[in-house]
Amino acid sequence: MSIKSESVSVEINGIDILKNINVEVSQGEILTIVGPNGAGKSTFLNVLSGDIEPSEGLVFYDETLLGNIDIEKRSFTRSVMSQSQAMVFDFSVREIIEMGWIDRGISSYAKNFKNAMIEVVEECNVGNLLNQTFNTLSGGEQRRVHFARTLLQLWRPSASDDPRYLLLDEPTANLDLSHEVKLLDIIKNKSRDGFGILLVIHDLNLAAKFSDKIALFKNGSLVKMGSPDEVLTSEILTDVYKIPIDVSENPLSVKYY
Amino acid sequence: MKIEASLTQANPLKITKKQNLIIIGLFFLVLLSLFIGFLIGSFNSSFINFISGKASTLENNVLLQIRFPRVILAGLVGASLGISGASLQGLFRNPLADPGLIGVSAGAALGASIVIVLGSNLVPKFLLGSFLLPLSAIAGSTFVILLLYFFTKGFGYRGITYMLLVGIAVNAIASVGIGVLTYISTDSELRGLTFWTMGSFGGVTWPLLVPAVIIICSALVWIIPASRKLDLIQLGEPEAYRLGVDIKKLKYRVIFSSAAAVGASVALSGMIGFVGLVVPHLVRLIGGVSHSYLLPGSALMGAALMINADLLSRVMIQPAELPVGLITTAIGSPFFLWLIFRLKKV
Repeated sequence: MSIKSESVSVEINGIDILKNINVEVSQGEILTIVGPNGAGKSTFLNVLSGDIEPSEGLVFYDETLLGNIDIEKRSFTRSVMSQSQAMVFDFSVREIIEMGWIDRGISSYAKNFKNAMIEVVEECNVGNLLNQTFNTLSGGEQRRVHFARTLLQLWRPSASDDPRYLLLDEPTANLDLSHEVKLLDIIKNKSRDGFGILLVIHDLNLAAKFSDKIALFKNGSLVKMGSPDEVLTSEILTDVYKIPIDVSENPLSVKYY
Repeated sequence: MKIEASLTQANPLKITKKQNLIIIGLFFLVLLSLFIGFLIGSFNSSFINFISGKASTLENNVLLQIRFPRVILAGLVGASLGISGASLQGLFRNPLADPGLIGVSAGAALGASIVIVLGSNLVPKFLLGSFLLPLSAIAGSTFVILLLYFFTKGFGYRGITYMLLVGIAVNAIASVGIGVLTYISTDSELRGLTFWTMGSFGGVTWPLLVPAVIIICSALVWIIPASRKLDLIQLGEPEAYRLGVDIKKLKYRVIFSSAAAVGASVALSGMIGFVGLVVPHLVRLIGGVSHSYLLPGSALMGAALMINADLLSRVMIQPAELPVGLITTAIGSPFFLWLIFRLKKV
């Protein structure tokens, strides 16, 4: 089971944003996309989530063409976290997280709501924020709340083994060091639970530590995809980022300053 | 366990206990307002006599043919302005969206005026009053909302002032249209037209009221189930889509139900300002922002407020009447200023 793109290209106003991308995110695996600004990372994530229709190429969820899955069904299988917009009205943190809960019209599923909520709130450690107004939180706290909402969307009773995928666009933006690592630990745990995870992240060291596979993008093209030590080499990175980058092994670490 | 204590909700699709109580409270407030509205007026009549069947024919006529439809219309118009204000604010993610301010009411008034002045020669009178008038008002309000939608494409929070500017332009265009129509209208048509600019519940009769009741109630019933989707769209359109909301369908639903409710209201009562702005904010202030609570709450609060505003308009300078639009604007415009003041600080 996987989410995959086959020869996906995106062209907007005559400019090629993505060129012929073939990427597959399998269950139980973290695939991280890295690359300079404007490489097409977020656009690719939006193509996989269904926000953007590719100009050419196909997207499949578990062998089914994405276009053939209705909007509501898609929300059962994948959840997405990206840069979020400001809230106009004063929703509480609890209400924001609850927005991730999708009523499938199945009462046996709906009765799990409270348990699911407790599980997710504890996992993301946002229990102390629940009754606060979302707009009063710091940027980092808001990210964590949105992350909890993203997880609630894919919550399942433990017996279920439906495929599910997390698409995360810079989930650690605005987070301090400890929350950054904690969040990535949660993501790692989710991949062990069988989630397929697509991660867009800038920090190459975190990418090296937490990813199963890395896809390096540049100017809308996939430069290289493979295990962290295959992709993160001095030659490739120096060539892509245009600054001198040293990579040392055991443990894999990237130095660029 | 602390977390468990703060999770009182068994189901996020239902409103909280406190919100439930507020809704029930507002419901009784509406009943009470209806009762007082029936009871008091410039014509003195005993409600007890009416109920026990001892009232004179004149009393019966005043209550049944004049006061009842009037009070019910006031409630309905208040409900539809309140709920369409709430749902437009939600859809456009704009706390200043109000059917009056953004020109939707003016569009409806222009639609109605066109039919009054130009249509009276073409269609029989009875058809004109009960159906054509509300329908053309609805066409006018739909047109304005679609225009706003076009001008504010992809609008989020940053577009607030832009939308109000479009509203100013639409209001100006509509008043030019109504002005021209006033100029070419006959005396009797003119009487009908002037009434739109101020708003009033006077002169409504059952045959006029029934179509409006049907239109407004179906609009309310259509929009309330979309509450949760309006919550989700607060995260932004892409996020709502990722949570399974068909954005296009939701937009059509809000646009057409608001247009229908506002159009039918304006057709019968003229332009009544600021109710759609003030009511949702009051309801949010007392119980929270979630639309499953906000939409029914705004309908009830709008109804109660309007029935009482109409009562004021009837009794303040007895036996004459103030236009009810004057009263709502007098209450609403300072509130509008306060909102702008508060927005600046955000």
